[in-house]
Amino acid sequence: MHALKIAATGMAAQQMRVETISNNLANMSTTGYNARRAEFADLHYQQLARAGTINAADGTVLPTGVQLGLGVRPSAISVDLAQGSLSATNGDLDLAIEGAGYLEVTLPSGQSAYTRDGALKRSAEGLIVNSEGFAVAPEITIPEDARSISINAEGEVFAFFQDEPEAQSIGQLNLAGFSNPKGLEAIGSNLFLETEASGAPNVTTAGQEGLGTLRQGYLEDSSVDPVREITELIEAQRGYEMNAKVITAADQMLSATTQVR
Amino acid sequence: MEASGYTTLTRQSGLMNELRVVANNIANAATTGYRQEGLIFSEYVKRIGDGASLSMAQGNIRNPSGIQGPLGQTGGRLDMAIEGDGYFLIETPAGERLTRAGNFTLSAVGDLVTPDGFRVLDAGGAPVFVPPDITDPGISPDGTLSDGDRPLAQIGIVRPIEGADLLREDGVMFRAEGGVAPAPEARILQGFLEASNVDPIGQIARMIEVQRAYEMGQSFLDAENERMMNALDTFTR
Repeated sequence: MHALKIAATGMAAQQMRVETISNNLANMSTTGYNARRAEFADLHYQQLARAGTINAADGTVLPTGVQLGLGVRPSAISVDLAQGSLSATNGDLDLAIEGAGYLEVTLPSGQSAYTRDGALKRSAEGLIVNSEGFAVAPEITIPEDARSISINAEGEVFAFFQDEPEAQSIGQLNLAGFSNPKGLEAIGSNLFLETEASGAPNVTTAGQEGLGTLRQGYLEDSSVDPVREITELIEAQRGYEMNAKVITAADQMLSATTQVR
Repeated sequence: MEASGYTTLTRQSGLMNELRVVANNIANAATTGYRQEGLIFSEYVKRIGDGASLSMAQGNIRNPSGIQGPLGQTGGRLDMAIEGDGYFLIETPAGERLTRAGNFTLSAVGDLVTPDGFRVLDAGGAPVFVPPDITDPGISPDGTLSDGDRPLAQIGIVRPIEGADLLREDGVMFRAEGGVAPAPEARILQGFLEASNVDPIGQIARMIEVQRAYEMGQSFLDAENERMMNALDTFTR
């Protein structure tokens, strides 16, 4: 019986929605996290009576026909690319990206990964690394005797030394832009990988070619809106219950069928 | 079996189909741009022998709802909802399709695409291209996609030519057999998505009604079965 299976696809869809919402809520305080949204599309339609079929000898055709749907399927989990609010941390290696773009880090495998989490650190060797310890590309080494670090909006890194009034440029942080940032593959730890869908990264100076600028001493908060998530959660839960009711109804109809002898 | 049994049977199979339609509507209660559907029963009259006729109920007419679904704000720059009668035009390998679901993204090469990767067409029937350096495109109510004061493309909004019917396809798409015409009175809202127009209360009520009608049919068949058994008993005694 189809109604049972159709309602089951509906329950699976609502469950997936709840999973997406719970992941968003769990990441409410994750630096640079963007909320995800589960999107659905209907499944194939079965043609019982094709519209346009000739219905009588005089050429009358069926105006609408009968098409029976087979349920719902997830079509995408799309990333909501809204800018999160910025909170001041005063850390000299804390960077927030204002606008589009990603920082590039090099994974131990040599592959490039992209992140909006600008909570950068200094490694034992003086390299600028992210929270996982992966070096930011291009590699920048902070000299041991540097007193303080300053990073400007375009990503140029300056070091101040004792007895030197002028800061020295020690490197340049770049931003990577993608034609379809929603197509990036999330691998956890706030990192993303380039995919066929995202297109190749366009690595350039911050503030150029539509990319955002950097702000030192700030971190980008999670863009999750708790009010929206909770209303979505209520909707998903009620939707789940309604699909369960359909299963009960279909079951009772089947049981009525079997009672006839 | 006598005709009364068959008459009930057409009604029962129609009700089963209607439950499927209701189940499909409820399953798609969270599908962006989904249009709910109903099933209409029609009378099918069969002439039998001498004068009298037999009337059967056949559920064979689709009744898609054209009611505007609620608009939900998402803030996405490429999320669009249509207010009024109209559809986005989509290019698929099987031909042009219509959809109300405006949850678009950009492809790797910068084309505006649906979540399934099909390209969205502009008013002239060409794919909509957004250059990669534009991060904040604006969309006006008539579908003009622009970067600041520089227009880039006009997103096509069409409707089926009067009288032509829409066939449903998977992926919240429709096929217009009779061709399409521009729909200038429809407006696009940027940053919104049209939610499914399924009315859950109405659907649950309809489901209960279908279930009860089905049970009634079954008890009729039950009584009919008993009547025939009794008749057989009486005649063969």
